[in-house]
Amino acid sequence: MAVWSRLPSVGLVSRAPRSLSVFSSTPSPPAWTRVVSDAEKIVGYPTSFMSLRCLLSDELSNVAMHVRKLAGTKHPLLNTARGFVYDSKHSLQLRGLVVLLISKAAGPGSPATDTLLQDMVSGIYPSQRSLAEITELIHTAFLVHRGIVNLKEWTCSDGPLKDMQFGNKMAVLSGDFLLANACTGLAQLNNTKVVELISSAIGDLVQGVYHENHESTAEVKEENLSVASWEDQMFLSHGALLAKSCQAAMVLAGHDTQAQGLAYQYGKHLALGHKLNSDLQPFMRSTAEPALLHLDSAPVLFHRLTVGSQGWLQQVQQTQSTTKRTDYSKLWDLVKTGTGVQQAADLCSYHGSKAMEAISCFPASEARSALENLVGAVTKI
Amino acid sequence: AGGAAGAGAAGGAGGAGACPERADTCRALRPWRPRATFYSAPRVCCCRTHSDAKLKDPFSLAQKDLIHLYEDIKKELLVSTAELRALCEYYFDGKGKALRPMIVVLMARACNIHSHRTADLLPAQRSIAMISEMIHTASLVHDDVIDGADTRRGKTTINEVWGERKAILAGDFILSAASMALARIGNTAVVSVLTQVIEDLVRGEFMQLGSKDSENERFRHYLEKTFKKTASLIANSCKAVSILVNSDPQVHEIAYQYGRNVGIAFQLVDDVLDFTVCANQLGKPSGADLKLGLATGPVLFACQKFPELHAMIMRRFCSEGDVDRAWRFVLESDGVEKTNYLAQRYCREAIRQISQLRPSTERDALIRLTELVLTRNK
Repeated sequence: MAVWSRLPSVGLVSRAPRSLSVFSSTPSPPAWTRVVSDAEKIVGYPTSFMSLRCLLSDELSNVAMHVRKLAGTKHPLLNTARGFVYDSKHSLQLRGLVVLLISKAAGPGSPATDTLLQDMVSGIYPSQRSLAEITELIHTAFLVHRGIVNLKEWTCSDGPLKDMQFGNKMAVLSGDFLLANACTGLAQLNNTKVVELISSAIGDLVQGVYHENHESTAEVKEENLSVASWEDQMFLSHGALLAKSCQAAMVLAGHDTQAQGLAYQYGKHLALGHKLNSDLQPFMRSTAEPALLHLDSAPVLFHRLTVGSQGWLQQVQQTQSTTKRTDYSKLWDLVKTGTGVQQAADLCSYHGSKAMEAISCFPASEARSALENLVGAVTKI
Repeated sequence: AGGAAGAGAAGGAGGAGACPERADTCRALRPWRPRATFYSAPRVCCCRTHSDAKLKDPFSLAQKDLIHLYEDIKKELLVSTAELRALCEYYFDGKGKALRPMIVVLMARACNIHSHRTADLLPAQRSIAMISEMIHTASLVHDDVIDGADTRRGKTTINEVWGERKAILAGDFILSAASMALARIGNTAVVSVLTQVIEDLVRGEFMQLGSKDSENERFRHYLEKTFKKTASLIANSCKAVSILVNSDPQVHEIAYQYGRNVGIAFQLVDDVLDFTVCANQLGKPSGADLKLGLATGPVLFACQKFPELHAMIMRRFCSEGDVDRAWRFVLESDGVEKTNYLAQRYCREAIRQISQLRPSTERDALIRLTELVLTRNK
């Protein structure tokens, strides 16, 4: 950690579709922080999931040293790296925390021999703790790989190409390093079912991330525009890892397929609820913040479906000046005054209730309450 | 010229062997006897094949096991997004040498016969062959982004066509598919062995970032990087197929050591070819390593004769004219011969290792392969 905190804090990317918005999207901070810190107490010790072994390795220290050279450039890796330090209390470690909580909520499983029970700390098996760490490593690896810059799209006004090449090199290497560590951790779990499950989650993540931000103009294709396909897409990029990690936590404790299914459902619906919540945040403000408006976010999607493709096209044209540039504050106004925001909020509570339903089958416990509180925090708009 | 490299390294399974690199470093830095000129200078294609015609050609022997290789790989890469699928399948066009799968199936059959079984491949062994090619390709895709390469095997690279971001994701996807296929084999020991490869590949890539100041350390660093980036995959895939048929750790070690030694030899020759073969034959521009700032075997050896190279190595050939001058120094020195000779020594050790297995056509083909590794010219 010490290494990362030495990163200079100049050169922040002000507005850039290329930057990562992941860290700024935590729902309603004060309430959220309380729910998370209460939950952390339940799982035993503080959640330093980004395994110290990894952060303190020669390889990542090396990257950290090089990343300092990127200060003042616009490479997204700079922001991602800074996020490791400044926002690590928030969304970065949510996934690991959920894995631990659901492990504890589900209990020892079978066959729970005495020797196995002895290994438990705060009602969680060591293998489940490793899994929580692996989940965070994979999540972070993709935050880093998401920020690879396409060099051909880079224009001179964005800064020297050399910096971008170098930033890419560091991003590829550090993302690969985190993934390789995740693979090693997985292999050490000695459970091929879990290796297969988590590997498939990596594949899902790739598919989800592949299409992100890639049509950033208002002319997103009409064909695949539906709530179902949006949810499929968001499941891949935001839900699959958590869902499958929760399921894998059950596999590791020897729980039956029913418990596995419930844990999967909880992870899936919590993640989708969380995503909807962060999509809604820009519309909770009283003034427009164009940088936070994403055209593939849920409220915009619902708005488009409501006004129809013709209506949307007209609205986009209205917001465009003669230079064909879209005025995002106008667009924001249109969406905010429509019904899209409410529909997205409804979908958010729907996923919240599905997540609640899934864990209602687990015995009542403080861990289960913490999982419920997380749902509560996510669905509170 | 003394005993084989890493003799008696048949100890514990796993690990990179009992540090034969260290021994090699010392020997490698000693001046060589003229015997080294055996394989000297401009490589002409296989002048010795004729006398060895009895030994079966490994490529044709392995052919029957590899007919469905690329089909099988594509089945693992089925993904609904057409473009992502196209990227992932891009290098599995049947035009690669498939060197790794070939070694893996030959090793599998040799181990099977050694273990009193029929030579027939187990389905899991066939999977390992496929997985080895997938891991290799995934790492190539990422390497091309890191190196900013625009061609590979005569094709435009993925990053050049689709951009860096998608290239990295495609590499990640191929790796996740390989990892799933590996898990489905259902053997935790095999999962561990091949996961080690993934870690080695990354660590090897990191090692390429730095240069060591002392000459001795530099050579050790180079050989260790070579093991991690190239040989680990071959060594551990060989070990994996041996684990699947035989529980004897000594057999695992033979398979591992064969793969390790052949792998290092293969890379040493590759590093030589970067100086001796013109661009169109190798499928990548010659002198590519120098341009990337990398000092490989021939340069490290040349540095013994031309100490001026030291400063250039340390600044990674980044000053004006460095690449050309380093190039000339290498060709004026015996760097190429010495690197070739080192490769021969690794091959000899590979032969010594594999010879401990019961005789079989496949075993002999693996012996023959070491010679092809040394004489290849592209």
